[in-house]
Amino acid sequence: MSDKMIDRLVDDLTPVKPLRIRDGLALTLMTAALFAALVVVFAGIRGDILMGIPDPMFFLRGGALLLLGLTSSYAVIAMSQPAVGNSFKGWVWALFAALLFPATAAVMAMIAAPDNMAIFVSRYGVECLAISMLVGTGIAAAQVFWLRRGAPVAPDRTGWLVGMSSGALGAAAYSLHCPFNSIFYIGLWYSLAVAICAILGRLIVPRLIRW
Amino acid sequence: MIANEETMRLLMVKAQGGDKQCYASLLTECEKWLRRYYGRKINPSAIDDLVQETLISLHRKRASYDPARAFLPWLAAIGRYRWIDSLRKIYRHEHDQLYEEMVADPREGDVTAKVSLERLLGLIPPKQAEVIGLVKIEGLSISEAATMTGQSESLVKVNIHRGLKKLSAMVETE
Repeated sequence: MSDKMIDRLVDDLTPVKPLRIRDGLALTLMTAALFAALVVVFAGIRGDILMGIPDPMFFLRGGALLLLGLTSSYAVIAMSQPAVGNSFKGWVWALFAALLFPATAAVMAMIAAPDNMAIFVSRYGVECLAISMLVGTGIAAAQVFWLRRGAPVAPDRTGWLVGMSSGALGAAAYSLHCPFNSIFYIGLWYSLAVAICAILGRLIVPRLIRW
Repeated sequence: MIANEETMRLLMVKAQGGDKQCYASLLTECEKWLRRYYGRKINPSAIDDLVQETLISLHRKRASYDPARAFLPWLAAIGRYRWIDSLRKIYRHEHDQLYEEMVADPREGDVTAKVSLERLLGLIPPKQAEVIGLVKIEGLSISEAATMTGQSESLVKVNIHRGLKKLSAMVETE
């Protein structure tokens, strides 16, 4: 029975181009760059950047999000090419670095009242969530497209990572527009955006990439 | 005798380029390798179907193999993925049987298979490993496994579900 099946598979053989991690990563980053450009075009860029005097928090926030987005995107793309013994954990350290923001916000909130009323103005927070998640969805779509070409063997973990990486890159794109530098604002709304994207990724992505 | 890692890697590289002769040789070698691999991890009666499903997966996902890396870890990852998928299907089947009040026939397990699977199952909590072994390897029904382990039937189902989920998360890392 296997011989017949092997003959059938051999008859069906066509040349394939092996997937390459750098191509998958390039697809993810180009999609992120495209959406970041759209954020700048339609929402506008931060005033301090335009004036050439960006606040240090812009770099800290954007850097942490980019680091998290890049390392977890690498892990996602690497998952399209399975192998026993595969274990890229670089994103864990980036996640710890990013968690410094909500952790700092929580500690500071216990010491003093939040210094920026923006965190209580839901309009800005909702805008931050909505745009970050919208951009994240586009990036996640590119990653899912790539994963479907590959053979991910841990769908649940892949789902978490797709959500987290796309959410982080989406939030990084939105941070080009976001005028707030408050640690409370960042600790609350940016963390929520990444966390919600990660949860949605875990819930939605596995069923899209099973094979 | 099964071809070695380097031979299989070279055959796979040729197959990705469309060489049908090399591909036929590779699939034949993979079939032998998979039979031995699964022979230690599942009831012998399920091996034929599982080997075929894995070969089809290898065919469909052949672009996911990176020619710069070793071949067998890639094949093993695909093999484990299909193996856990196969266990899930048996689980659903067992559910149906239980619902219809039919009793599964206990099957004599291969000693070697049990030892090897127990080694893998040693990575998950003992209660989960125990019921997966009883229901999946030995072919007991849920109710029989519940009686033997002292767990309720629903707990047996939950433990199988959780155990398979944990095994699934360990496909690449174990």
